[in-house]
Amino acid sequence: MERKLVVAFSLPLQVIRPFAGFGRAAQVTVEHSGALGLLAWQTLVAIVRGRVRYRDVLQQTYIMGIQSLPIVFVTASLAGIVTSQQGGYQIVSTSPRYLLGTLVVQSIVLELGPLLTAIVLVGRIGARITAELGTMVVSEQIDAFKSLGRDPVSVLGAPRIIAGLITMPLLVGFADVVGIAAGIIAANLDAGLGTETFLYGARLFWHNWDLFYGFSKAVVFGFIIPLISVHMGLRTAGGAEGVGLTTTNAVMFMILTLLILDAMFPPLLLQ
Amino acid sequence: MITYRNVHKAFDKPVLSGVSFTVESGEMFALFGPSGTGKSVLLKTTIGLVVPDRGDVEVDGMSVYHGGRSAVDDVRRKSGYVFQHAALFDSLNVYENVAMGIPEDELASLPKRDTAHRVWDVLENVNLDPHEVMAKIPSELSGGMKKRVGIARAIVGRPKILLWDEPTTGLDPINTAAIERLIHRLSTELEVTSILVTHDVEGGLQMCHRVAMLEGGTLRFIGTPAEFRSCPDPVVRAFVDRAAAEAALDMVTESR
Repeated sequence: MERKLVVAFSLPLQVIRPFAGFGRAAQVTVEHSGALGLLAWQTLVAIVRGRVRYRDVLQQTYIMGIQSLPIVFVTASLAGIVTSQQGGYQIVSTSPRYLLGTLVVQSIVLELGPLLTAIVLVGRIGARITAELGTMVVSEQIDAFKSLGRDPVSVLGAPRIIAGLITMPLLVGFADVVGIAAGIIAANLDAGLGTETFLYGARLFWHNWDLFYGFSKAVVFGFIIPLISVHMGLRTAGGAEGVGLTTTNAVMFMILTLLILDAMFPPLLLQ
Repeated sequence: MITYRNVHKAFDKPVLSGVSFTVESGEMFALFGPSGTGKSVLLKTTIGLVVPDRGDVEVDGMSVYHGGRSAVDDVRRKSGYVFQHAALFDSLNVYENVAMGIPEDELASLPKRDTAHRVWDVLENVNLDPHEVMAKIPSELSGGMKKRVGIARAIVGRPKILLWDEPTTGLDPINTAAIERLIHRLSTELEVTSILVTHDVEGGLQMCHRVAMLEGGTLRFIGTPAEFRSCPDPVVRAFVDRAAAEAALDMVTESR
């Protein structure tokens, strides 16, 4: 009798447990989405009310933009070289050689330029913002801001989000140029493809819309990286360990969000 | 006047369980209690840094939590908060840190020269040499100097209320005495209402008009320093003298 009762009560739990996991994940997703939406709204209000200091935006733009140029240069160069080498390996013996130009330019402009630059910015800027704000939370500096009647979103969050929106398209433009140039050089050295043939292939399948598509990604990524990092930074709790944990979570959150958003672009804009 | 009405707050477990008392205008009030008993949390509820789950805080008759955003802004404008570890902004120098204490709209309309004068005066008021410290960043200051800069930042906005969160924690006896003298002098000179959260019971008893003791999230004692010293409650006694503290510790150990 007792055994039957145990079976009767444990079965529903086994059934319910996976749903409970889904429920928790859904709850966390909704909670973060709501908080991100609120942060975006507060940023907009701060901008409209003129509470964001021009100097702070300029400083953040310098940190995010100018200081990121070397790493973006290296990443974009390697992306262009690798795409050109692998494309050359597959195309040259089976298809017209000029298609290598098409492949490199399309890959860089549509995908690698925006996505790789965004991932570099997650590591260089997103983690930094989260750790910086997280440290300010655990050392009560954010409380001090509030106690002095200052709004942390206007002073700390908004300048970073605006700077992300400004710098990301510029960095993606830079990455596109560098990546394509590196691709041309690699195609020349590796597959013996001349610059004119390479550019002929690039022009043959070129649509101006592709550039708009790439820069749309840049704007969205440039907004979402600082937004998530500011959001996560301001939610930090629990001392130095908490800062480390929040930074790790923020990086995972940002990369996952970027990849999901990246997957949403083709059905929305490439039909 | 600051009134705490039935303030409740829980994080993972209850921290404040229905705390009620009033601090009169111009009064200097000390809050004692064991670590983790909610003293700093209660202090933070005064200006909305921690929002109570239940209950309310009234400042000069105005509810902080039922008056909307403007009520919180208003109480923050009239308060100065001294943080336990100073909470100076790492990236700003001493001058910029202190100037941040001037309300935003006032700072925007104040000529730079007047701002500099005000920062200079307030640094002198907390016994710091403005020449020496103004351009330094917080990491270049000693613990005692950081606390003084934190105090300067709290008073530069000419507050009516000063909230002190363990201002002498981590300081040597000489610096502790110096900061306590400073707290007493400033509270008297500026004619402000002061609430001092401290573990330095003797210092609090000497400086304050009234004292209270929090224990287990509730108010265990409230009264004058003289009443506190003569209180028969063993937990209160443990805070008054070392021998009673040893006895209380033995009692706790035995009960475990």
